[in-house]
Amino acid sequence: MSTEEASTRKLILYVAGETPKSLAAISNLERICREHLPGKYRIEVIDLKKNPQLAREHKIVAIPTLVRELPIPIRKIIGDLSDEQKVLINLKVE
Amino acid sequence: MRNSQEQALQSLIDDLRQRAAEAEETLAAIRDGSVDAVVVGGEGKDEVLVIGDDASAFRNFMEAMEPGAVAVDSAGRLLYSNARFRQIFAEDWDRLKGKLLSEILPGPASQLIGRLVSPDSHDAAPVSVSFLERGVERNYLVSARPVHLGTVRGFAVTFSDLTERVRAEAAERAQRIANAIIASANEAVIVCDRTLTITHANFAAEALSTEKLVGTRLDAAIPLKFPDATGILEIGELVESSLAGTPLRSIEAYAPMSPGARDVLVSAAPLNISDDGPEGCVLTLVDLSQRKKDERQMHLLMRELDHRVKNTLALVLSISKRTAASEETLEGFQGSFSGRIEALAATHNLLAGASWESLSLRQIFSAEVSPYTETSSDRINITGADLSLYPRAAIALGLIFHELATNATKYGALSAETGSIDLEIHPKTDAPYVQVTWTEKDGPPVKSFSRKGFGHTVIARSLSYSPHGGTTLDFEPTGVICRIRIPVSDVA
Repeated sequence: MSTEEASTRKLILYVAGETPKSLAAISNLERICREHLPGKYRIEVIDLKKNPQLAREHKIVAIPTLVRELPIPIRKIIGDLSDEQKVLINLKVE
Repeated sequence: MRNSQEQALQSLIDDLRQRAAEAEETLAAIRDGSVDAVVVGGEGKDEVLVIGDDASAFRNFMEAMEPGAVAVDSAGRLLYSNARFRQIFAEDWDRLKGKLLSEILPGPASQLIGRLVSPDSHDAAPVSVSFLERGVERNYLVSARPVHLGTVRGFAVTFSDLTERVRAEAAERAQRIANAIIASANEAVIVCDRTLTITHANFAAEALSTEKLVGTRLDAAIPLKFPDATGILEIGELVESSLAGTPLRSIEAYAPMSPGARDVLVSAAPLNISDDGPEGCVLTLVDLSQRKKDERQMHLLMRELDHRVKNTLALVLSISKRTAASEETLEGFQGSFSGRIEALAATHNLLAGASWESLSLRQIFSAEVSPYTETSSDRINITGADLSLYPRAAIALGLIFHELATNATKYGALSAETGSIDLEIHPKTDAPYVQVTWTEKDGPPVKSFSRKGFGHTVIARSLSYSPHGGTTLDFEPTGVICRIRIPVSDVA
Protein backbone atom coordinates (compact mmCIF):
# COMPACT_ATOMS: atom_id res chain seq x y z
CA MET A 1 0.00 0.00 0.00
CA SER A 2 1.48 3.30 -1.04
CA THR A 3 1.65 6.30 1.30
CA GLU A 4 -0.92 8.09 -0.77
CA GLU A 5 -3.33 5.20 -0.59
CA ALA A 6 -2.73 4.90 3.13
CA SER A 7 -3.66 8.54 3.72
CA THR A 8 -6.86 8.31 1.61
CA ARG A 9 -10.02 8.12 3.65
CA LYS A 10 -12.55 5.69 2.39
CA LEU A 11 -15.84 6.90 3.73
CA ILE A 12 -19.19 5.18 3.45
CA LEU A 13 -22.28 7.19 4.29
CA TYR A 14 -25.44 5.25 4.95
CA VAL A 15 -28.59 7.23 4.25
CA ALA A 16 -32.34 6.55 4.06
CA GLY A 17 -33.52 8.02 0.78
CA GLU A 18 -34.04 11.75 1.06
CA THR A 19 -34.91 12.16 4.69
CA PRO A 20 -33.90 15.56 6.04
CA LYS A 21 -31.06 14.11 8.11
CA SER A 22 -29.80 12.07 5.16
CA LEU A 23 -29.70 15.12 2.91
CA ALA A 24 -28.01 17.14 5.64
CA ALA A 25 -25.43 14.40 6.22
CA ILE A 26 -24.53 14.18 2.52
CA SER A 27 -24.25 17.93 2.24
CA ASN A 28 -22.20 18.30 5.44
CA LEU A 29 -19.83 15.47 4.56
CA GLU A 30 -19.14 16.79 1.08
CA ARG A 31 -18.44 20.23 2.46
CA ILE A 32 -16.16 19.05 5.28
CA CYS A 33 -14.15 16.80 2.96
CA ARG A 34 -13.88 19.48 0.33
CA GLU A 35 -12.61 21.99 2.83
CA HIS A 36 -10.41 19.81 5.06
CA LEU A 37 -9.40 16.76 3.00
CA PRO A 38 -9.05 18.02 -0.53
CA GLY A 39 -8.13 15.06 -2.79
CA LYS A 40 -7.75 12.70 0.16
CA TYR A 41 -11.12 11.08 0.40
CA ARG A 42 -13.45 8.74 -1.35
CA ILE A 43 -17.11 8.87 -0.48
CA GLU A 44 -19.59 6.13 -1.15
CA VAL A 45 -23.21 6.89 -0.38
CA ILE A 46 -25.37 3.86 0.26
CA ASP A 47 -29.13 4.35 0.25
CA LEU A 48 -30.51 1.76 2.63
CA LYS A 49 -34.04 2.52 1.49
CA LYS A 50 -33.10 0.94 -1.80
CA ASN A 51 -30.75 -1.71 -0.43
CA PRO A 52 -31.56 -2.35 3.25
CA GLN A 53 -29.54 -5.55 3.29
CA LEU A 54 -26.32 -3.53 2.91
CA ALA A 55 -26.78 -2.37 6.51
CA ARG A 56 -25.49 -5.70 7.75
CA GLU A 57 -21.88 -5.28 6.65
CA HIS A 58 -21.27 -2.50 9.12
CA LYS A 59 -24.12 -3.35 11.47
CA ILE A 60 -25.92 -0.09 10.78
CA VAL A 61 -28.94 0.62 12.97
CA ALA A 62 -29.41 4.41 12.98
CA ILE A 63 -29.45 6.48 9.79
CA PRO A 64 -27.56 8.50 8.77
CA THR A 65 -24.30 6.91 9.81
CA LEU A 66 -20.85 7.57 8.42
CA VAL A 67 -18.33 4.74 8.42
CA ARG A 68 -14.63 5.43 8.02
CA GLU A 69 -13.45 2.19 6.53
CA LEU A 70 -9.92 3.32 5.85
CA PRO A 71 -7.60 3.84 7.48
CA ILE A 72 -8.34 1.12 9.98
CA PRO A 73 -9.63 0.78 12.59
CA ILE A 74 -13.17 1.36 11.37
CA ARG A 75 -14.91 4.37 12.90
CA LYS A 76 -18.61 5.22 12.93
CA ILE A 77 -20.23 8.64 13.31
CA ILE A 78 -23.98 8.68 13.81
CA GLY A 79 -26.09 11.71 12.86
CA ASP A 80 -26.28 14.40 10.20
CA LEU A 81 -22.60 15.39 10.63
CA SER A 82 -23.51 18.95 11.54
CA ASP A 83 -20.93 18.89 14.37
CA GLU A 84 -17.89 19.57 12.24
CA GLN A 85 -15.35 19.20 15.07
CA LYS A 86 -16.69 15.79 16.00
CA VAL A 87 -16.46 14.66 12.37
CA LEU A 88 -12.91 15.98 11.96
CA ILE A 89 -11.73 14.23 15.16
CA ASN A 90 -13.22 10.93 14.03
CA LEU A 91 -11.66 11.33 10.61
CA LYS A 92 -8.39 12.13 12.44
CA VAL A 93 -7.92 15.34 10.59
CA GLU A 94 -7.27 17.42 13.71
CA MET B 1 -2.65 -22.58 26.03
CA ARG B 2 -4.07 -20.69 28.90
CA ASN B 3 -2.49 -17.59 27.59
CA SER B 4 -4.27 -17.88 24.24
CA GLN B 5 -7.60 -18.53 25.98
CA GLU B 6 -7.10 -15.36 27.99
CA GLN B 7 -6.30 -13.43 24.86
CA ALA B 8 -9.44 -14.71 23.10
CA LEU B 9 -11.51 -13.83 26.13
CA GLN B 10 -10.00 -10.38 26.28
CA SER B 11 -10.72 -9.87 22.62
CA LEU B 12 -14.30 -10.93 23.13
CA ILE B 13 -14.65 -8.55 26.04
CA ASP B 14 -13.18 -5.70 23.95
CA ASP B 15 -15.58 -6.50 21.12
CA LEU B 16 -18.53 -6.58 23.48
CA ARG B 17 -17.44 -3.25 25.00
CA GLN B 18 -17.12 -1.78 21.55
CA ARG B 19 -20.57 -3.02 20.59
CA ALA B 20 -22.07 -1.81 23.86
CA ALA B 21 -20.55 1.61 23.26
CA GLU B 22 -21.96 1.65 19.74
CA ALA B 23 -25.37 0.59 20.97
CA GLU B 24 -25.28 3.32 23.57
CA GLU B 25 -24.26 5.87 21.00
CA THR B 26 -27.03 4.73 18.65
CA LEU B 27 -29.66 5.00 21.35
CA ALA B 28 -28.40 8.44 22.32
CA ALA B 29 -28.55 9.55 18.68
CA ILE B 30 -32.11 8.32 18.33
CA ARG B 31 -33.08 9.96 21.61
CA ASP B 32 -31.60 13.36 20.77
CA GLY B 33 -33.02 13.33 17.24
CA SER B 34 -29.69 13.12 15.41
CA VAL B 35 -31.05 10.42 13.15
CA ASP B 36 -34.37 10.17 11.38
CA ALA B 37 -34.38 6.53 10.25
CA VAL B 38 -33.49 3.14 11.71
CA VAL B 39 -32.88 -0.29 10.27
CA VAL B 40 -35.05 -2.99 11.72
CA GLY B 41 -34.67 -6.67 11.03
CA GLY B 42 -37.40 -9.20 11.00
CA GLU B 43 -37.58 -12.72 9.67
CA GLY B 44 -34.09 -12.31 8.30
CA LYS B 45 -35.12 -9.30 6.23
CA ASP B 46 -33.90 -5.81 7.02
CA GLU B 47 -36.13 -2.82 6.57
CA VAL B 48 -35.66 0.96 6.92
CA LEU B 49 -38.12 2.78 9.12
CA VAL B 50 -38.34 6.59 8.90
CA ILE B 51 -38.84 8.27 12.27
CA GLY B 52 -41.51 10.95 12.53
CA ASP B 53 -44.30 11.90 10.14
CA ASP B 54 -44.41 10.51 6.67
CA ALA B 55 -43.27 13.43 4.53
CA SER B 56 -44.77 12.04 1.32
CA ALA B 57 -48.16 13.73 1.85
CA PHE B 58 -46.37 17.02 2.47
CA ARG B 59 -44.31 16.53 -0.67
CA ASN B 60 -47.37 15.70 -2.75
CA PHE B 61 -49.04 18.86 -1.51
CA MET B 62 -45.99 20.95 -2.36
CA GLU B 63 -45.74 19.34 -5.78
CA ALA B 64 -49.30 20.40 -6.58
CA MET B 65 -48.68 24.01 -5.57
CA GLU B 66 -48.58 26.57 -8.35
CA PRO B 67 -45.88 28.78 -6.79
CA GLY B 68 -42.34 27.49 -6.52
CA ALA B 69 -41.95 25.80 -3.13
CA VAL B 70 -39.12 24.32 -1.14
CA ALA B 71 -38.69 22.80 2.27
CA VAL B 72 -35.46 23.71 4.02
CA ASP B 73 -34.01 22.76 7.36
CA SER B 74 -32.98 25.32 9.95
CA ALA B 75 -29.66 25.81 8.13
CA GLY B 76 -31.48 26.69 4.91
CA ARG B 77 -30.60 23.35 3.30
CA LEU B 78 -32.98 22.10 0.63
CA LEU B 79 -34.94 19.06 1.77
CA TYR B 80 -37.47 19.13 -0.99
CA SER B 81 -38.42 21.32 -3.95
CA ASN B 82 -41.42 21.17 -6.20
CA ALA B 83 -41.40 21.12 -9.99
CA ARG B 84 -42.05 24.86 -10.34
CA PHE B 85 -39.04 25.69 -8.17
CA ARG B 86 -36.88 23.35 -10.23
CA GLN B 87 -38.21 25.01 -13.36
CA ILE B 88 -37.34 28.48 -12.03
CA PHE B 89 -33.73 27.49 -11.50
CA ALA B 90 -33.58 25.02 -14.40
CA GLU B 91 -32.04 22.36 -12.20
CA ASP B 92 -32.72 18.67 -11.51
CA TRP B 93 -33.55 17.69 -7.99
CA ASP B 94 -30.39 15.59 -7.85
CA ARG B 95 -28.36 18.76 -8.26
CA LEU B 96 -30.45 20.77 -5.86
CA LYS B 97 -30.99 18.43 -2.94
CA GLY B 98 -28.99 19.16 0.16
CA LYS B 99 -27.76 22.47 -1.22
CA LEU B 100 -28.13 25.62 0.80
CA LEU B 101 -30.62 28.18 -0.49
CA SER B 102 -27.78 30.70 -0.43
CA GLU B 103 -25.89 28.54 -2.93
CA ILE B 104 -28.81 28.57 -5.35
CA LEU B 105 -30.13 32.10 -5.08
CA PRO B 106 -28.27 35.17 -6.33
CA GLY B 107 -26.65 37.34 -3.64
CA PRO B 108 -29.22 40.06 -2.89
CA ALA B 109 -32.19 37.67 -3.03
CA SER B 110 -30.28 35.16 -0.93
CA GLN B 111 -29.72 37.71 1.85
CA LEU B 112 -33.37 38.74 1.94
CA ILE B 113 -34.66 35.19 1.95
CA GLY B 114 -31.93 34.13 4.39
CA ARG B 115 -33.54 36.40 6.97
CA LEU B 116 -36.88 34.67 6.46
CA VAL B 117 -35.48 31.24 7.26
CA SER B 118 -33.18 32.19 10.11
CA PRO B 119 -34.04 30.53 13.43
CA ASP B 120 -34.82 33.89 15.07
CA SER B 121 -37.33 34.93 12.40
CA HIS B 122 -40.86 34.92 13.70
CA ASP B 123 -43.50 35.20 11.02
CA ALA B 124 -41.33 37.57 9.02
CA ALA B 125 -43.23 39.50 6.36
CA PRO B 126 -42.88 38.22 2.79
CA VAL B 127 -40.08 39.78 0.75
CA SER B 128 -40.08 40.81 -2.86
CA VAL B 129 -37.06 39.64 -4.85
CA SER B 130 -36.08 39.59 -8.48
CA PHE B 131 -33.55 37.54 -10.36
CA LEU B 132 -32.82 36.36 -13.85
CA GLU B 133 -34.63 33.29 -15.07
CA ARG B 134 -33.15 32.11 -18.36
CA GLY B 135 -31.87 35.61 -18.98
CA VAL B 136 -35.18 37.33 -18.22
CA GLU B 137 -35.72 39.23 -15.00
CA ARG B 138 -38.63 37.89 -13.00
CA ASN B 139 -40.13 39.04 -9.73
CA TYR B 140 -41.21 36.85 -6.85
CA LEU B 141 -42.90 37.35 -3.54
CA VAL B 142 -41.17 34.99 -1.15
CA SER B 143 -42.70 33.93 2.14
CA ALA B 144 -41.58 31.35 4.70
CA ARG B 145 -43.48 29.46 7.39
CA PRO B 146 -42.01 27.08 10.00
CA VAL B 147 -42.73 23.36 9.45
CA HIS B 148 -41.79 20.02 10.99
CA LEU B 149 -40.41 17.45 8.61
CA GLY B 150 -39.91 14.21 10.46
CA THR B 151 -37.56 14.98 13.29
CA VAL B 152 -36.42 18.19 11.65
CA ARG B 153 -37.66 21.72 12.21
CA GLY B 154 -37.44 23.83 9.13
CA PHE B 155 -39.31 26.14 6.84
CA ALA B 156 -41.61 25.87 3.88
CA VAL B 157 -40.62 28.64 1.48
CA THR B 158 -42.87 29.66 -1.40
CA PHE B 159 -41.98 31.72 -4.46
CA SER B 160 -45.08 33.39 -5.93
CA ASP B 161 -44.42 34.72 -9.42
CA LEU B 162 -45.35 38.41 -9.55
CA THR B 163 -43.62 39.10 -12.83
CA GLU B 164 -46.74 39.65 -14.88
CA ARG B 165 -48.29 41.80 -12.18
CA VAL B 166 -45.09 43.83 -11.79
CA ARG B 167 -44.86 44.18 -15.54
CA ALA B 168 -48.49 45.23 -15.76
CA GLU B 169 -47.96 47.78 -12.97
CA ALA B 170 -44.78 49.04 -14.64
CA ALA B 171 -46.61 49.28 -17.97
CA GLU B 172 -49.49 51.10 -16.34
CA ARG B 173 -47.10 53.49 -14.62
CA ALA B 174 -45.17 54.02 -17.86
CA GLN B 175 -48.47 54.70 -19.59
CA ARG B 176 -49.41 57.25 -16.93
CA ILE B 177 -46.00 58.91 -17.24
CA ALA B 178 -46.24 58.95 -21.03
CA ASN B 179 -49.73 60.44 -20.84
CA ALA B 180 -48.53 63.05 -18.37
CA ILE B 181 -45.58 63.94 -20.62
CA ILE B 182 -47.83 64.23 -23.65
CA ALA B 183 -50.40 66.26 -21.72
CA SER B 184 -47.82 68.65 -20.27
CA ALA B 185 -46.13 69.38 -23.61
CA ASN B 186 -46.83 72.88 -24.87
CA GLU B 187 -46.66 71.68 -28.44
CA ALA B 188 -49.38 69.57 -29.99
CA VAL B 189 -48.44 65.91 -29.60
CA ILE B 190 -50.31 63.18 -31.46
CA VAL B 191 -49.65 59.45 -31.36
CA CYS B 192 -51.11 57.27 -34.07
CA ASP B 193 -50.86 53.57 -34.84
CA ARG B 194 -49.68 52.04 -38.10
CA THR B 195 -53.10 52.51 -39.64
CA LEU B 196 -52.96 56.27 -38.91
CA THR B 197 -55.62 55.97 -36.23
CA ILE B 198 -54.97 58.46 -33.46
CA THR B 199 -54.42 56.80 -30.07
CA HIS B 200 -53.23 59.77 -28.00
CA ALA B 201 -53.57 63.52 -28.39
CA ASN B 202 -52.87 66.28 -25.92
CA PHE B 203 -54.80 69.47 -25.29
CA ALA B 204 -52.73 71.51 -27.75
CA ALA B 205 -53.40 68.90 -30.43
CA GLU B 206 -57.14 68.92 -29.78
CA ALA B 207 -57.06 72.66 -30.45
CA LEU B 208 -55.94 71.92 -34.02
CA SER B 209 -59.21 70.21 -34.87
CA THR B 210 -62.86 70.79 -34.37
CA GLU B 211 -63.42 67.08 -33.76
CA LYS B 212 -62.33 64.67 -31.04
CA LEU B 213 -59.01 63.29 -32.22
CA VAL B 214 -58.57 59.93 -30.46
CA GLY B 215 -60.06 57.16 -32.55
CA THR B 216 -60.18 59.11 -35.81
CA ARG B 217 -57.77 58.94 -38.72
CA LEU B 218 -54.94 61.42 -38.58
CA ASP B 219 -55.22 62.51 -42.23
CA ALA B 220 -58.95 63.15 -41.85
CA ALA B 221 -58.73 64.89 -38.47
CA ILE B 222 -55.89 67.27 -39.29
CA PRO B 223 -55.32 67.53 -43.04
CA LEU B 224 -52.08 69.33 -43.79
CA LYS B 225 -50.78 71.05 -46.87
CA PHE B 226 -47.05 70.95 -47.45
CA PRO B 227 -45.02 73.39 -49.53
CA ASP B 228 -43.98 71.90 -52.88
CA ALA B 229 -40.31 71.98 -51.88
CA THR B 230 -40.83 69.29 -49.23
CA GLY B 231 -42.00 66.73 -51.81
CA ILE B 232 -44.63 65.59 -49.33
CA LEU B 233 -48.24 65.56 -50.39
CA GLU B 234 -50.06 64.59 -47.24
CA ILE B 235 -49.49 63.81 -43.57
CA GLY B 236 -49.78 60.04 -44.13
CA GLU B 237 -46.52 60.11 -46.09
CA LEU B 238 -44.81 61.65 -43.10
CA VAL B 239 -45.98 58.81 -40.89
CA GLU B 240 -45.02 56.14 -43.43
CA SER B 241 -41.56 57.62 -43.79
CA SER B 242 -41.13 57.60 -40.05
CA LEU B 243 -42.38 53.99 -39.76
CA ALA B 244 -39.90 53.00 -42.46
CA GLY B 245 -37.10 54.30 -40.25
CA THR B 246 -36.67 57.84 -41.53
CA PRO B 247 -37.88 60.25 -38.86
CA LEU B 248 -38.67 63.67 -40.29
CA ARG B 249 -38.10 66.87 -38.40
CA SER B 250 -39.35 70.40 -38.68
CA ILE B 251 -41.34 70.18 -41.89
CA GLU B 252 -43.35 73.32 -42.49
CA ALA B 253 -46.99 72.76 -43.25
CA TYR B 254 -50.29 74.54 -43.32
CA ALA B 255 -53.38 73.27 -41.52
CA PRO B 256 -56.24 74.86 -43.50
CA MET B 257 -59.02 73.03 -41.64
CA SER B 258 -57.76 73.88 -38.16
CA PRO B 259 -59.51 76.63 -36.27
CA GLY B 260 -57.77 79.83 -37.34
CA ALA B 261 -56.03 77.97 -40.21
CA ARG B 262 -52.55 77.70 -38.84
CA ASP B 263 -48.99 77.34 -40.05
CA VAL B 264 -47.31 74.46 -38.24
CA LEU B 265 -43.90 72.81 -38.00
CA VAL B 266 -44.36 69.04 -38.08
CA SER B 267 -41.97 66.36 -36.81
CA ALA B 268 -42.62 62.63 -36.94
CA ALA B 269 -40.74 59.91 -35.10
CA PRO B 270 -41.39 56.17 -34.89
CA LEU B 271 -43.00 54.84 -31.71
CA ASN B 272 -40.75 51.97 -30.65
CA ILE B 273 -42.16 50.03 -27.72
CA SER B 274 -40.53 46.65 -28.34
CA ASP B 275 -37.89 45.23 -30.65
CA ASP B 276 -40.56 44.22 -33.16
CA GLY B 277 -40.37 47.45 -35.13
CA PRO B 278 -42.31 50.69 -34.70
CA GLU B 279 -45.90 50.27 -33.57
CA GLY B 280 -46.91 53.74 -34.56
CA CYS B 281 -45.73 57.26 -34.91
CA VAL B 282 -45.36 60.26 -32.60
CA LEU B 283 -46.05 63.59 -34.25
CA THR B 284 -45.38 67.00 -32.81
CA LEU B 285 -46.90 70.09 -34.36
CA VAL B 286 -45.52 73.46 -33.37
CA ASP B 287 -47.87 76.34 -34.07
CA LEU B 288 -46.02 78.76 -36.31
CA SER B 289 -48.86 81.25 -36.75
CA GLN B 290 -47.39 83.88 -34.46
CA ARG B 291 -43.87 83.28 -35.75
CA LYS B 292 -45.09 83.57 -39.34
CA LYS B 293 -46.93 86.75 -38.51
CA ASP B 294 -43.79 88.11 -36.85
CA GLU B 295 -41.73 87.15 -39.89
CA ARG B 296 -44.17 88.84 -42.23
CA GLN B 297 -44.13 91.92 -40.02
CA MET B 298 -40.34 91.89 -39.98
CA HIS B 299 -40.08 91.62 -43.78
CA LEU B 300 -42.64 94.37 -44.12
CA LEU B 301 -40.72 96.54 -41.72
CA MET B 302 -37.46 95.86 -43.49
CA ARG B 303 -38.95 96.94 -46.81
CA GLU B 304 -40.67 99.85 -45.16
CA LEU B 305 -37.50 100.90 -43.40
CA ASP B 306 -35.53 100.79 -46.62
CA HIS B 307 -38.21 102.81 -48.35
CA ARG B 308 -38.42 105.32 -45.54
CA VAL B 309 -34.69 105.77 -45.19
CA LYS B 310 -34.48 106.55 -48.90
CA ASN B 311 -37.46 108.90 -48.66
CA THR B 312 -36.11 110.55 -45.54
CA LEU B 313 -32.69 111.07 -47.10
CA ALA B 314 -34.35 112.57 -50.18
CA LEU B 315 -36.49 114.75 -47.93
CA VAL B 316 -33.48 115.89 -45.89
CA LEU B 317 -31.65 116.69 -49.10
CA SER B 318 -34.63 118.64 -50.40
CA ILE B 319 -35.09 120.49 -47.09
CA SER B 320 -31.40 121.34 -47.12
CA LYS B 321 -31.48 122.70 -50.69
CA ARG B 322 -34.74 124.57 -50.29
CA THR B 323 -33.81 126.02 -46.91
CA ALA B 324 -30.50 127.19 -48.33
CA ALA B 325 -32.33 128.79 -51.25
CA SER B 326 -34.80 130.62 -49.02
CA GLU B 327 -32.44 131.79 -46.29
CA GLU B 328 -30.15 134.69 -46.80
CA THR B 329 -27.68 134.05 -43.98
CA LEU B 330 -25.82 131.06 -42.71
CA GLU B 331 -27.31 131.55 -39.24
CA GLY B 332 -30.81 131.71 -40.78
CA PHE B 333 -30.10 128.51 -42.68
CA GLN B 334 -28.78 126.77 -39.57
CA GLY B 335 -31.86 127.75 -37.51
CA SER B 336 -34.42 126.78 -40.13
CA PHE B 337 -32.66 123.64 -41.25
CA SER B 338 -32.14 122.38 -37.67
CA GLY B 339 -35.76 123.16 -36.82
CA ARG B 340 -37.06 121.20 -39.77
CA ILE B 341 -34.77 118.22 -39.20
CA GLU B 342 -35.77 118.20 -35.52
CA ALA B 343 -39.44 118.29 -36.57
CA LEU B 344 -38.79 115.34 -38.84
CA ALA B 345 -36.92 113.54 -36.04
CA ALA B 346 -39.74 114.14 -33.56
CA THR B 347 -42.25 112.40 -35.82
CA HIS B 348 -39.75 109.64 -36.52
CA ASN B 349 -39.29 109.07 -32.81
CA LEU B 350 -43.00 108.77 -32.33
CA LEU B 351 -43.30 106.37 -35.25
CA ALA B 352 -40.41 104.23 -34.00
CA GLY B 353 -42.13 104.00 -30.62
CA ALA B 354 -45.30 102.85 -32.37
CA SER B 355 -43.47 100.20 -34.47
CA TRP B 356 -44.10 102.32 -37.58
CA GLU B 357 -47.72 101.34 -37.52
CA SER B 358 -49.79 104.46 -36.83
CA LEU B 359 -49.65 107.65 -34.76
CA SER B 360 -52.20 109.75 -32.99
CA LEU B 361 -52.70 113.18 -34.53
CA ARG B 362 -52.70 114.79 -31.09
CA GLN B 363 -49.34 113.16 -30.34
CA ILE B 364 -47.85 114.57 -33.55
CA PHE B 365 -49.25 117.99 -32.75
CA SER B 366 -47.84 117.91 -29.21
CA ALA B 367 -44.41 116.76 -30.40
CA GLU B 368 -44.16 119.55 -32.97
CA VAL B 369 -45.75 122.42 -31.06
CA SER B 370 -44.45 121.73 -27.54
CA PRO B 371 -40.98 123.27 -28.28
CA TYR B 372 -42.77 126.61 -28.73
CA THR B 373 -45.46 126.61 -26.11
CA GLU B 374 -47.11 124.52 -23.43
CA THR B 375 -49.61 122.44 -25.37
CA SER B 376 -51.77 121.94 -22.30
CA SER B 377 -52.04 125.68 -21.64
CA ASP B 378 -55.01 127.89 -22.43
CA ARG B 379 -53.28 129.04 -25.57
CA ILE B 380 -53.77 125.73 -27.29
CA ASN B 381 -57.26 124.42 -27.76
CA ILE B 382 -57.76 121.08 -29.50
CA THR B 383 -61.23 119.83 -30.32
CA GLY B 384 -62.57 116.79 -32.11
CA ALA B 385 -61.90 113.09 -31.88
CA ASP B 386 -58.29 112.07 -32.27
CA LEU B 387 -57.19 110.40 -35.49
CA SER B 388 -54.79 107.55 -36.00
CA LEU B 389 -52.56 108.25 -38.99
CA TYR B 390 -50.34 105.99 -41.04
CA PRO B 391 -46.65 106.95 -41.23
CA ARG B 392 -46.76 108.79 -44.56
CA ALA B 393 -49.42 111.22 -43.38
CA ALA B 394 -47.88 111.41 -39.91
CA ILE B 395 -44.51 112.62 -41.28
CA ALA B 396 -46.15 115.14 -43.58
CA LEU B 397 -48.38 116.46 -40.81
CA GLY B 398 -45.39 116.68 -38.47
CA LEU B 399 -43.59 118.93 -40.95
CA ILE B 400 -46.73 121.05 -41.53
CA PHE B 401 -47.33 121.56 -37.78
CA HIS B 402 -43.64 122.48 -37.39
CA GLU B 403 -43.83 125.13 -40.11
CA LEU B 404 -47.12 126.52 -38.79
CA ALA B 405 -45.79 126.62 -35.21
CA THR B 406 -42.53 128.28 -36.34
CA ASN B 407 -44.47 130.90 -38.28
CA ALA B 408 -46.88 131.47 -35.38
CA THR B 409 -43.94 131.94 -33.02
CA LYS B 410 -42.20 134.41 -35.31
CA TYR B 411 -45.16 136.38 -36.64
CA GLY B 412 -48.47 134.90 -35.52
CA ALA B 413 -50.48 134.03 -32.42
CA LEU B 414 -47.57 132.64 -30.43
CA SER B 415 -45.51 135.80 -30.97
CA ALA B 416 -47.84 137.73 -28.64
CA GLU B 417 -48.75 136.81 -25.10
CA THR B 418 -52.50 136.91 -25.77
CA GLY B 419 -52.56 134.84 -28.93
CA SER B 420 -53.89 131.33 -29.07
CA ILE B 421 -54.31 128.46 -31.51
CA ASP B 422 -57.39 126.32 -32.07
CA LEU B 423 -56.89 122.93 -33.64
CA GLU B 424 -60.13 121.40 -34.77
CA ILE B 425 -60.18 117.79 -35.88
CA HIS B 426 -63.25 117.38 -38.02
CA PRO B 427 -65.18 114.16 -38.00
CA LYS B 428 -64.91 111.72 -40.91
CA THR B 429 -67.39 112.35 -43.69
CA ASP B 430 -68.01 110.82 -47.10
CA ALA B 431 -65.22 113.02 -48.43
CA PRO B 432 -61.97 111.24 -49.41
CA TYR B 433 -60.14 113.22 -46.76
CA VAL B 434 -60.43 114.22 -43.13
CA GLN B 435 -60.05 117.90 -42.41
CA VAL B 436 -58.08 119.46 -39.60
CA THR B 437 -58.19 123.21 -39.14
CA TRP B 438 -55.43 125.28 -37.57
CA THR B 439 -56.83 128.66 -36.52
CA GLU B 440 -54.75 131.40 -34.93
CA LYS B 441 -56.41 134.28 -33.10
CA ASP B 442 -55.70 137.20 -30.82
CA GLY B 443 -52.26 137.57 -32.27
CA PRO B 444 -50.76 140.62 -33.92
CA PRO B 445 -52.30 141.82 -37.19
CA VAL B 446 -51.56 139.33 -39.90
CA LYS B 447 -49.56 139.99 -42.96
CA SER B 448 -49.21 137.48 -45.69
CA PHE B 449 -45.87 135.73 -46.00
CA SER B 450 -43.64 138.47 -47.27
CA ARG B 451 -42.38 135.98 -49.74
CA LYS B 452 -43.37 132.42 -50.17
CA GLY B 453 -40.38 130.65 -48.68
CA PHE B 454 -39.76 127.00 -48.19
CA GLY B 455 -41.96 126.94 -45.07
CA HIS B 456 -44.88 127.82 -47.26
CA THR B 457 -43.90 125.11 -49.74
CA VAL B 458 -43.71 122.51 -46.98
CA ILE B 459 -47.21 123.43 -45.78
CA ALA B 460 -48.63 123.48 -49.28
CA ARG B 461 -47.05 120.35 -50.67
CA SER B 462 -46.36 117.86 -47.89
CA LEU B 463 -49.74 116.18 -48.20
CA SER B 464 -49.89 116.50 -51.98
CA TYR B 465 -48.55 113.00 -52.47
CA SER B 466 -52.27 112.07 -52.78
CA PRO B 467 -54.89 113.90 -54.89
CA HIS B 468 -57.07 113.95 -51.76
CA GLY B 469 -54.44 115.52 -49.53
CA GLY B 470 -53.29 119.10 -49.26
CA THR B 471 -53.67 122.38 -47.38
CA THR B 472 -55.28 125.74 -47.85
CA LEU B 473 -53.54 128.61 -46.10
CA ASP B 474 -55.46 131.82 -45.47
CA PHE B 475 -54.07 134.94 -43.90
CA GLU B 476 -57.22 136.30 -42.27
CA PRO B 477 -56.87 139.59 -40.38
CA THR B 478 -57.67 137.75 -37.15
CA GLY B 479 -54.98 135.21 -37.71
CA VAL B 480 -53.67 132.44 -39.94
CA ILE B 481 -56.14 129.71 -40.85
CA CYS B 482 -54.75 126.54 -42.32
CA ARG B 483 -57.21 123.89 -43.53
CA ILE B 484 -55.40 120.58 -43.74
CA ARG B 485 -56.82 117.66 -45.73
CA ILE B 486 -55.52 114.27 -44.77
CA PRO B 487 -56.24 111.53 -47.33
CA VAL B 488 -58.74 109.17 -45.74
CA SER B 489 -56.63 106.24 -46.97
CA ASP B 490 -53.96 107.30 -44.46
CA VAL B 491 -56.37 107.39 -41.55
CA ALA B 492 -56.41 104.10 -39.64
